[in-house]
Amino acid sequence: MNRSFVDALGGIYPGNRLLTRDVELLPYESDALTAFQTKPGAVVLPENDAEIIATVRLCHEHSVPFVARGSGTSLSGGSLPIADGLTIALNRLNRIKVIDPQQRIAIVEPGVVNLHISQAAQPYGLYYAPDPSSQSICTIGGNIAFNSGGAHCLKYGMTSNHVLGMKVVLADGSLTEFGSESLDGCGIGPDLIGLFVGSEGLFGIALELTLRLLPLPELYRTVLAAFDDLGQAGDAVSQVVASGLLPGAIEIMDRLAIRAAETVGANYPDAEALLIVELEGEAPQVEAEFAQLRELIERSGAFEIRSAQSEDERARIWKGRKSAFSAVGRLSPDYIVQDGVVPRSRLGEALQQIDAMKRRYGLEVANVFHAGDGNLHPLILFDGREDGALHKAEALAGEILAMCVKLGGSITGEHGVGVEKRDYMPAMFSEAELDVMLALRKAIDPREIANRGKMFPGGEAPALTMQGMHPLERQGVISRE
Amino acid sequence: MITSDEQVRAFVGAHDRLHVRGMGSKPALHQVDAPILDMSALRGIVEYQPQEFTLTVRAGTPLREVVAALAEQGQYLPFDPLLPESASIGGTVASNLSGSRRHRFGGVRDFVLGAAIVDGTAQGYTVGGKVVKNAAGFDLTKFLVGSLGNYAILTELTFKVFPDVPRFRSLRFTYATLAEALEASYDINRSRFELDALDILPGADGAVLQARLGGFSETLPARVQRFSDFVTTTTAPQHVEVIKDELSIWDCVGDLDGACLAKVTLAPRQLLALDAAIDGAKRRYTLAGNIGFVACEDASWLGDVLARLGLRGLLLRGQARSPLLGAPLENVLAARVKATLDPLGKLV
Repeated sequence: MNRSFVDALGGIYPGNRLLTRDVELLPYESDALTAFQTKPGAVVLPENDAEIIATVRLCHEHSVPFVARGSGTSLSGGSLPIADGLTIALNRLNRIKVIDPQQRIAIVEPGVVNLHISQAAQPYGLYYAPDPSSQSICTIGGNIAFNSGGAHCLKYGMTSNHVLGMKVVLADGSLTEFGSESLDGCGIGPDLIGLFVGSEGLFGIALELTLRLLPLPELYRTVLAAFDDLGQAGDAVSQVVASGLLPGAIEIMDRLAIRAAETVGANYPDAEALLIVELEGEAPQVEAEFAQLRELIERSGAFEIRSAQSEDERARIWKGRKSAFSAVGRLSPDYIVQDGVVPRSRLGEALQQIDAMKRRYGLEVANVFHAGDGNLHPLILFDGREDGALHKAEALAGEILAMCVKLGGSITGEHGVGVEKRDYMPAMFSEAELDVMLALRKAIDPREIANRGKMFPGGEAPALTMQGMHPLERQGVISRE
Repeated sequence: MITSDEQVRAFVGAHDRLHVRGMGSKPALHQVDAPILDMSALRGIVEYQPQEFTLTVRAGTPLREVVAALAEQGQYLPFDPLLPESASIGGTVASNLSGSRRHRFGGVRDFVLGAAIVDGTAQGYTVGGKVVKNAAGFDLTKFLVGSLGNYAILTELTFKVFPDVPRFRSLRFTYATLAEALEASYDINRSRFELDALDILPGADGAVLQARLGGFSETLPARVQRFSDFVTTTTAPQHVEVIKDELSIWDCVGDLDGACLAKVTLAPRQLLALDAAIDGAKRRYTLAGNIGFVACEDASWLGDVLARLGLRGLLLRGQARSPLLGAPLENVLAARVKATLDPLGKLV
């Protein structure tokens, strides 16, 4: 890394917050997409807005690419460092500045952990709705960058739907604010929040976020249904949707995912497929909906139906589902998580095709998916120690994404494109569409320094390696529960 | 008559300046001296899959056609488009206008999934997707919500739609002062009651909170009672009334006659100051005091008031140099999008 640039960083940061030695850089080499690893030139640990702004301006001046990073839980390599670039780790900007129960908003810094917002709002009977599985460690800044989802998106939307206002520093150092404390967000004029959220760090860094909080539902009713056949579970979803019910979450797991969940003590029935449906809201309404749901599921061919009778039982049902990704890690030395979307009515077709593909490749695939919104998470199992195994798994993942696009869906529902899926962008977008996105990127970040190498096809390719878990995961510091 | 995307592109290609108009239901948005690109013939439902909760329509389609097609399947647009009898779907998105029912699930931006657009260089392409969940690429669809046709022309839109509920009940709670009504709305808005709408109606003599609950016929009476008890105990209104749930009482701009009509985006904390400054104008607040609709005789007066309070408004009816009222909207990020999508500044 350029000496004069590092010296200039030394003018912003004391030595203990400017990391340049190999041993200090090691934990930042990759994120939750462990197949990719790159050593950054340096890592800085800002503690306030002024330091971030000064850093971004310095990067712009020296044309040094930078990556803003929270907890490094991206499943698409979104926070993968850039070789010889700067990683700006935002975890110390973790203040919840305001919880305003009357206006139902929170104002937070980007390094705040997702779950901490709900915990801070809980005494007021409020919570922050988006719930990615990594919510106990992932930061809101990363959620903003990748428009993170979770199991409860069908009813309440993704991260973007819960952001009302932002202060950001663009990649060239310009400062701007948009949105408001109104639940109407941008309200008047173009929806700049909608543009910035999900831009994968390619426009700049969010310094402060105003978020919408929701009242905690009065009652949850969670049902677990076991099926002998995956198709039957899918049909049950169609019936639930056709009935006019609007559950907060509809999830399906297949046999292999169920087996994986057993390794974390989920105590699920022995089945080909499990369906989890959760209703939430005002108690009398939920009870009435629940009666309707039970009836539907009883008629759907489920051989076992369990209803959570307490918050404890509800947590147990969800535990297996939310731990599915990391649990699969106990069945196989390595795996790739995919994130395609298909129209809900074509879920059955998509699963059949995945089944045929995995046989052809001779690989195991566990399926976990947000059935309510057609968001598939096939987990492709492989052993990275075998020659060519990673590339074979990658090829299968690519075929699955191509199928999602062909069925009218998307290459990513909630994990983002990052490094992982950038080569599939042309499958989803025409050349003209990609050109416009690239032109937009260049208009906002003329030197293309913000999270360079992400989202757009081509570009400098990082080394693809396979060394198992994330360094911090190996040490037990982070997990994907 | 424009009936295809190709014709939209040709129109853009043939003009140095142009202004987009749907059905013209918000005349204040169209006081521009430029050739009009009339989108009202680019209409029709392209694809509606009730099972998918998705609907794709051409931008010039009248809202009433969209609303009727959804209602046939027991579904609705949860952002509750404003002016459902006279506006087009494209104009509603471009001006980001919702009615009272947006309270339950969110606004236009929360339900628009994708679009076909033509930009200021006469290039046509699609943005976003047609599935209810998608995180690929920049979300230009959301950006265009509220953009007033100044960045690109919407030709087709895909929405997420929801099942509607079969029954509604409406209630009115009367308070001695607007401040008391606002305090009560804070308590209600953070409660576990899932309201379909919560409006604040200031009057000469105090203020009314008008709430709406929706759900199954068999549970609704008990829920209404529970809610009414909660509001009575928590906020001590002077008067409580269960009223007939007619569409007219939920038309949040229906009673707001006057030469000018504007939408104002505000935080509830700013409501009392705004209301004091526009005392005398007809007004109603939706979304628990987060959006205001104001009718008055002089748009420039309202613009000055909003600017002084740091608020922004959008003029829907009435004379003004610009429909954008109040605090300036200029933004460096928006300017760069404009330079990309409409480098010659054709779209005015």
